[in-house]
Amino acid sequence: MDFRLDIIVEYAPFLLKGTLLTLGLSISGVLIGTILGLFIGLGKIIRNRIISSPFVCYIAFFRGTPLFVQVLIVHFGVVPLFIHETNGIVAGIIALSLNSAAYVAEIFRSGIQSIDKGQMEASRSLGMTHVQAMKYVILPQAFKRIIPPLGNEFIALLKDSSIVSVVAAPELMYWATAMNTQYGRVWEPYLTASLIYLVLTLVLSFLLNRLERRLATE
Amino acid sequence: MIKVEQLKKSFGENEVLKNINVEVKSREVVVVIGPSGSGKSTFLRCINRLESITEGRIYIEGVDITDKTTDINQVRTEVGMVFQQFNLFPHKTVIENIMLSPIKVRKVAKDQAREKGMELLRKVGLEDKANVYPDSLSGGQKQRIAIARALAMEPKIMLFDEPTSALDPEMVGEVLEVMKQLAKEGMTMIVVTHEMGFAREVGDRVIFMDGGYIVEENVPSEIFTNPKEERTKSFLSKVL
Ligand SMILES: Nc1ncnc2c1ncn2[C@@H]1O[C@H](COP(=O)(O)OP(=O)(O)OP(=O)(O)O)[C@@H](O)[C@H]1O
Ligand SMILES: [Mg+2]
Repeated sequence: MDFRLDIIVEYAPFLLKGTLLTLGLSISGVLIGTILGLFIGLGKIIRNRIISSPFVCYIAFFRGTPLFVQVLIVHFGVVPLFIHETNGIVAGIIALSLNSAAYVAEIFRSGIQSIDKGQMEASRSLGMTHVQAMKYVILPQAFKRIIPPLGNEFIALLKDSSIVSVVAAPELMYWATAMNTQYGRVWEPYLTASLIYLVLTLVLSFLLNRLERRLATE
Repeated sequence: MIKVEQLKKSFGENEVLKNINVEVKSREVVVVIGPSGSGKSTFLRCINRLESITEGRIYIEGVDITDKTTDINQVRTEVGMVFQQFNLFPHKTVIENIMLSPIKVRKVAKDQAREKGMELLRKVGLEDKANVYPDSLSGGQKQRIAIARALAMEPKIMLFDEPTSALDPEMVGEVLEVMKQLAKEGMTMIVVTHEMGFAREVGDRVIFMDGGYIVEENVPSEIFTNPKEERTKSFLSKVL
């Protein structure tokens, strides 16, 4: 079997651009997802069933349906409602954000609920409102516990972002597929793409481990 | 100062407080004793509405705290509470624990809150611990900090729920000492405790609770030496 390095070299600039977009998609997905997820997670733990039910449904929907389908719905259904010409990158960011928000919401919910009940009671007994207690006492403690699972979500999202190549967002997988189509080769494009994903996820988990250790000793 | 009228509290089907009537005067120290599960904690937690109240009224300085229009956060600033498990904030240093509520709730200036906090730390004998995190403290030290934290809000009433029950025996004394000092300064206190020595020495009145009722209440000298009710007798014979 021959391995054509030359086509990898030819595609290198595109693969690099694709990698940057992959990173951009995952970072914006996890950032927006974290902000949305915080509110959805807080919404889910509200005692009043009527208020919490939309949040519960949101999480159930986005965790219970394939990301692939969500990307298609957002790209061909939701985005055209707002902008005339649908755009793979915009649709990709929206779909990834909405999807990761559901997972992040669950991470927040379990992080918040893992904080001892006495913390809230002590805060309230000192005259703080529920919101103040959340802001100054519960969330700062929950954040620390949330960082490791949040990092894992980031890594998962980085890999899942490959799905948005189906709506022609020119990220890493998109260029690998283009290479495959142009030259009819399998190993060169897909091995290269795999390797890049692997390097990215390994670097991320390394950084995450260090951060975790730093937090643990604090 | 505190008036509890026909207080009832149920958790679902389980009626935990059945008909509680108590009055606590200003500067009075009331000690609540009783077997496990008799509703002592629930009673205390109703007084600052950490538990919702099923029936009855509670007045604090004439304000009906069971009324829906009463600002409960305002009421809670006047009623300090100390828990068995301390419940210090582990992500904040000792002085930050004490300053947090005065700054955020009472809107006290930072410098002023710090000054007041240091004064309270001196009072509980822990000024050298201002900048450490609670994790590095012993149980007795944690509980003294928790008392200082509650006092920082300048409450008119202090509630203690078994403040020494989670402590190693050798640390009980230092916490009781702080509480005695507080009583001497005229703080109105309701204390749930198994420390009968403290009850006898510091208590103005002892309330014996069992099965969600106040079975007997009297001055310590009477209730300990001459209990009227059978249930009080049998409880005291076990703990004394
Ligand atoms: N949040 C709750 N939900 C349901 N039941 C509860 C709750 N809190 C307390 N109870 C029940 O109420 C009863 C009285 O509890 P409480 O904690 O007031 O007793 P206590 O006198 O403080 O006992 P102890 O000496 O063990 O602290 C118990 O039967 C307990 O199981
Ligand atoms: Mg109790």
